[in-house]
Amino acid sequence: MINKSTQVEENTEGYREIEITVFRYNSQNKNDTPEYQTYKLIETPGMTLYIALIKIWSTMDHHLSFDFVCRAGICGSCSMVVNGKPRLACKTRTNEFEDGKITLLPLPTFKHIKDLSVDTGNWMNAMSKKVESWIHTKEKTDIAAIEKPIEPEDAQAVFDLDRCIECGICLASCSTKIMREDFVGAVGLNRTARFAIDPHDERTDAEFYELIGDDNGVFGCMSLMGCEDHCPKELPLQTKIAYMRRKMVKA
Amino acid sequence: MKIIYTDALIVGGGLAGLRSAIAARDKGLDTIVISMVPVKRSHSAAAQGGMQASLGNTIKGEGDNEDIHFADTVKGSDWGCDQDVARMFVTTAPKAIRELAAWGVPWNRIGKGPREVIINGQKETIVEKDEAHGLINARDFGGTKKWRTCYTSDATGHTMLYAVANEALKRDVEIHDKKEAISIIHESGICSGVIARDLISGELIAYVARGTMIATGGYGRIYKQSTNAIICKGIGIAIALETGIVQLGNMEAVQFHPTPIVPSGILLTEGCRGDGGVLRDKDGYRFMPDYEPEKKELASRDVVSRRMIEHIRKGKGVKSPYGDHLWLDISILGREHIEKNLHDVQDISKTFNGIDPADEGEKGWMPVLPMQHYSMGGIRVKPTGETPTLKGLFCSGEAACWDLHGFNRLGGNSVSEAVVAGMIVGEYFAEYCANTHLNTNTFTIEKFLEAQREYLQEILSYDGGRNIFDIKDRMRTIMQEKVGVFRNGKDLNDAVNELEDLLKMVKEITVTDKSLCNNPELNEAYRVTKMLKLALCVAKGALDRTESRGAHFREDYTKRDDINWLKRTIATWVNPNDTMPTLSYEALDISKMEMPPAFRGYGKKGAIVLNPLSKKREEEIVKIKETLGSVDRFTMQEALMDYDLPKDYKRKNERVGVGYD
Amino acid sequence: MSQKDNTVELLTGKNNFGKKSRIPAKLDFLQSVTGLFLALFITFHILFESSILFGKEAMYRLTKLFEGEPFIEGGEPLIITALAMVIFSMFIFHAFLAMRKFPASYKEYQRYRAHRELLNHQDTNLWFIQITTGFAMFFLGSIHLYMMMTSPEKIGPYASADRIFSDWMWPMYLLLLVSVVMHAWVGVYRLIIKWGWFDGKDPRKNRKRSKLIIKVLIAVYLFIGLVSLASYMKIGYDHQSDYGSRYVMEKIK
Ligand SMILES: Cc1cc2nc3c(=O)[nH]c(=O)nc-3n(C[C@H](O)[C@H](O)[C@H](O)COP(=O)(O)OP(=O)(O)OC[C@H]3O[C@@H](n4cnc5c(N)ncnc54)[C@H](O)[C@@H]3O)c2cc1C
Ligand code: HEM
Ligand code: SF4
Ligand code: FES
Repeated sequence: MINKSTQVEENTEGYREIEITVFRYNSQNKNDTPEYQTYKLIETPGMTLYIALIKIWSTMDHHLSFDFVCRAGICGSCSMVVNGKPRLACKTRTNEFEDGKITLLPLPTFKHIKDLSVDTGNWMNAMSKKVESWIHTKEKTDIAAIEKPIEPEDAQAVFDLDRCIECGICLASCSTKIMREDFVGAVGLNRTARFAIDPHDERTDAEFYELIGDDNGVFGCMSLMGCEDHCPKELPLQTKIAYMRRKMVKA
Repeated sequence: MKIIYTDALIVGGGLAGLRSAIAARDKGLDTIVISMVPVKRSHSAAAQGGMQASLGNTIKGEGDNEDIHFADTVKGSDWGCDQDVARMFVTTAPKAIRELAAWGVPWNRIGKGPREVIINGQKETIVEKDEAHGLINARDFGGTKKWRTCYTSDATGHTMLYAVANEALKRDVEIHDKKEAISIIHESGICSGVIARDLISGELIAYVARGTMIATGGYGRIYKQSTNAIICKGIGIAIALETGIVQLGNMEAVQFHPTPIVPSGILLTEGCRGDGGVLRDKDGYRFMPDYEPEKKELASRDVVSRRMIEHIRKGKGVKSPYGDHLWLDISILGREHIEKNLHDVQDISKTFNGIDPADEGEKGWMPVLPMQHYSMGGIRVKPTGETPTLKGLFCSGEAACWDLHGFNRLGGNSVSEAVVAGMIVGEYFAEYCANTHLNTNTFTIEKFLEAQREYLQEILSYDGGRNIFDIKDRMRTIMQEKVGVFRNGKDLNDAVNELEDLLKMVKEITVTDKSLCNNPELNEAYRVTKMLKLALCVAKGALDRTESRGAHFREDYTKRDDINWLKRTIATWVNPNDTMPTLSYEALDISKMEMPPAFRGYGKKGAIVLNPLSKKREEEIVKIKETLGSVDRFTMQEALMDYDLPKDYKRKNERVGVGYD
Repeated sequence: MSQKDNTVELLTGKNNFGKKSRIPAKLDFLQSVTGLFLALFITFHILFESSILFGKEAMYRLTKLFEGEPFIEGGEPLIITALAMVIFSMFIFHAFLAMRKFPASYKEYQRYRAHRELLNHQDTNLWFIQITTGFAMFFLGSIHLYMMMTSPEKIGPYASADRIFSDWMWPMYLLLLVSVVMHAWVGVYRLIIKWGWFDGKDPRKNRKRSKLIIKVLIAVYLFIGLVSLASYMKIGYDHQSDYGSRYVMEKIK
């Protein structure tokens, strides 16, 4: 690891200066060596890591790679490790860090692309297929007829679990997943719970067992609770994994 | 040379693209969706408010049906929309939402009995019917007669997108993400796929298909300030423009939203003002009553946006490193109200700005500024979704000018459009793909691949020392300042000239990193070039349109002019070396309209130059109604303006209390 | 499962009805059952050991009670052997099950370690305690249990104290004590979240509460255990000269 020289921005406004250190590595280039690069910039009011990184990228270093899409904490693109904690960069304000020093690493467990950019899409799609993340029903819906009534609380309960944005933070916070690549993780287990409580889905416990009844599924979870403690959507991952585990032991 | 063959190719994995992919798969076609980002990260996920469909379940939506939704949509568009399309849309929307419900979207449901709601700052109790218990709920949204906007809390787009994406995965739609379409392959007026760039390896891939659909969303990011995701750069629209054949429609029709938060541009809902929040300037002064004594902060979106900009222009804006802004103050509503009813707003403000809007006084004021929000314009298509000039190229969603929205779209109509278009256009597209044989030779494919390879090399060889980021910044600032909420001949003229200069300047940049793979600077270089072309279409279209209609507001031509301007702006880029789009116009035929142009119901009444044909058509309609006598509304509608829908989408929709009437 | 069934699973990952094996569910469940059993056992075991704090007599009486003195004249140490054998088999079974969770290669270990250091997350660190103490107990627990099975008669105020002090067993007991206390309580905490036992209305708050209670229990048990150990050491120290002689109750003397 090499520490690259720092890049500095002129201070004009009397705001504080912060130091952002970024992991630099291009996995696509066989000859590249990993290094850390530090940028010093002026912290403007309301600055988030999104604003900071865009500033670095457009004014100091055009080669820096990272992924933002919605920059509003909705799409789950910008997960990275911020001072050791996996989080959504766009939802992280720089003034949270008192000493003004921030280290950014790409999200572990996913295929690294370059710098802060990793490939989450393919993993998440594969996971969705693996847990058959869609409604299973034999009923044929007539879409011109009045919809099937659902109790408001039931709809709300499904919604609460449907809020997952596939940001991958639960996986990056999970030592089990770090060790065992094939583990579906909290995101996958929460997804099965979401369908298990959906009144539209007719799957039985035994059918869910076929999807997650092994050590890559719910029995692989060692209850380390990294997921629960880092999920940016604050999903009830602990209770939902326990819920699926209880169901699967009996299935 | 990498060539991937498929039956149906869809560029863009938002709601529109994925729903179309499902239509194609259901016809047994091999279907590939390519997307710049993982599909579930598409911008559709950002829609908070909801989806319009005239279910009429809630008591506040009682009596709602296709006709009322149709009228709202046409009026909202300031008569700029295609009424056939609007009819197709309103008839299919209830089916779309019910299909989504069956696919698991956890729509908020009605609980029978009384509940408290806030209407225009006033608390009210409404009582839901017993038979509506458990059916899909709806909320109020600007510009609609009935409560018609169905929702899942503040994450409507997210839940819809996930349901549709999962259904696509279920059907084994092939998804190739981190692939960006950068050119369209076509020959003798037939489209046969796209050239895409692998954003990881930098490799160029030819995707070759019987039919191609563009569903790449809007182009909001040509503006400095926008609520859109940062990938909404309009690349898909631009590559269609670059064919020289495909037409773009109404590019100048750009919608602004009055209260996104500064600097991030995240929307703060209309509810803030609906519940009684006020706007303040740098002196803490509430200025809206001065401009709009009657409606104050509750005037329509475009009016509030305009007044805000007007006030900032008077030097009353608050200075900040991100430019001038104003304050939105909801602290006067009290902590309890905010924590209960505007929780999401509080959340956004706390997380992204570190401001708790419930804090009293200045401390709780949130910085806001009108920003670009929605692109009504896009690739001009027929009601089937096919481009009239390039066979086999379809388009749907925000990228298209299908023309549901005309010059102003109603909130909640766009996610709805994306899904409905995915059903309708998706079906026509699938039919086309099923009945067409792939008719292209590798020579053509190679030619297009080679052209892109050379183009990228050319960019890397530019050596004028300019910086693409400066050019981009300048473009976005020009759009913001001169082609924004307020428009006038002089500014627009300046904008067009400056943008043209910027486009020429692109050849004078230097890209410092010469690598073809994973080079964000190179990406920016070709994207900004494409964005500049779109920006020119917007600015030029706005300059030439000497009237005000919907979101397009000219200070020097404040009236809507149906005599001269009831027509769609069509932009093409005839020659690759052109530095200006070629504009032409497509007239709207009043004599075929179900609802001839009239007063919109909001804004100033005198501000319209009505076309005499309106009157004529109105009389005609009265006559038709008289001759038919008392027939049901479907027969009547058919007599006024018949329209087609694929599959069985034209079937009547059932509603609670009224059945299929 | 027959040989044929096994072959089908080998080839398809499913049994002959095309279904997934139920074994993983059983293993997971049994791991918890054995863990819980051992934890319950150890909570009482340590309490019984600490009877020494109430004097030699108390400890002696308790030992005799376990040897079945109320029914068998003079007590029967073989009962202890039998008891130890039951515990030992549970212990082996539990270790066998829990072993599945250990990092299986250097790569896994390296990834785990680097990640744990980066994340610095309490529950993840607790798991590290659990596997290290578990690993240590492979040996420590085995030694202890083996001795209990082979020389069950050597339990008593002096016999135990001599073993601890003069036979130099105290370092082993010290390590075993720390390991078993931490392992058992962290294990119980894990059981609570793993099965959602005390979720209540606010699972987040209750998890914090469970963790706090567990920490207190670890402290209490370590304290009791250490004081007892010290007390045996003291007795053993005083008893050096009489090494080997057994304790006889005052009354009987
Ligand atoms: C903040 C916000 C809130 C909104 N709220 C509402 C609301 O409440 N109700 C409502 O009705 N509407 C709302 N809208 C509008 C609505 O979300 C969009 O109009 C709609 O989702 C567009 O869907 P789409 O499928 O056309 O495009 P998108 O969802 O934008 O998808 C575009 C897709 O194209 C891909 N793509 C783009 N370019 C390329 C390329 N060159 N090559 C390959 N792939 C490419 C992208 O990766 C993406 O997958 C809101 C918009 C914003 C900005
Ligand atoms: C050789 C001895 C032992 C080894 C190797 C061992 C190992 C382990 C490991 C690695 C775990 C974690 C399993 C997981 O994360 O899912 C575990 C869990 C547990 N252990 Fe042990 N252990 C041993 C002895 C004991 C003893 C003596 C006790 C009780 C005093 C005990 C009680 C528990 C409990 C309660 C759990 C939680 C069970 C669960 O998670 O399902 N273990 N053990
Ligand atoms: S469960 Fe939470 S942490 Fe995991 S992917 Fe979903 S939102 Fe992210
Ligand atoms: S960019 Fe979408 S969550 Fe951060």
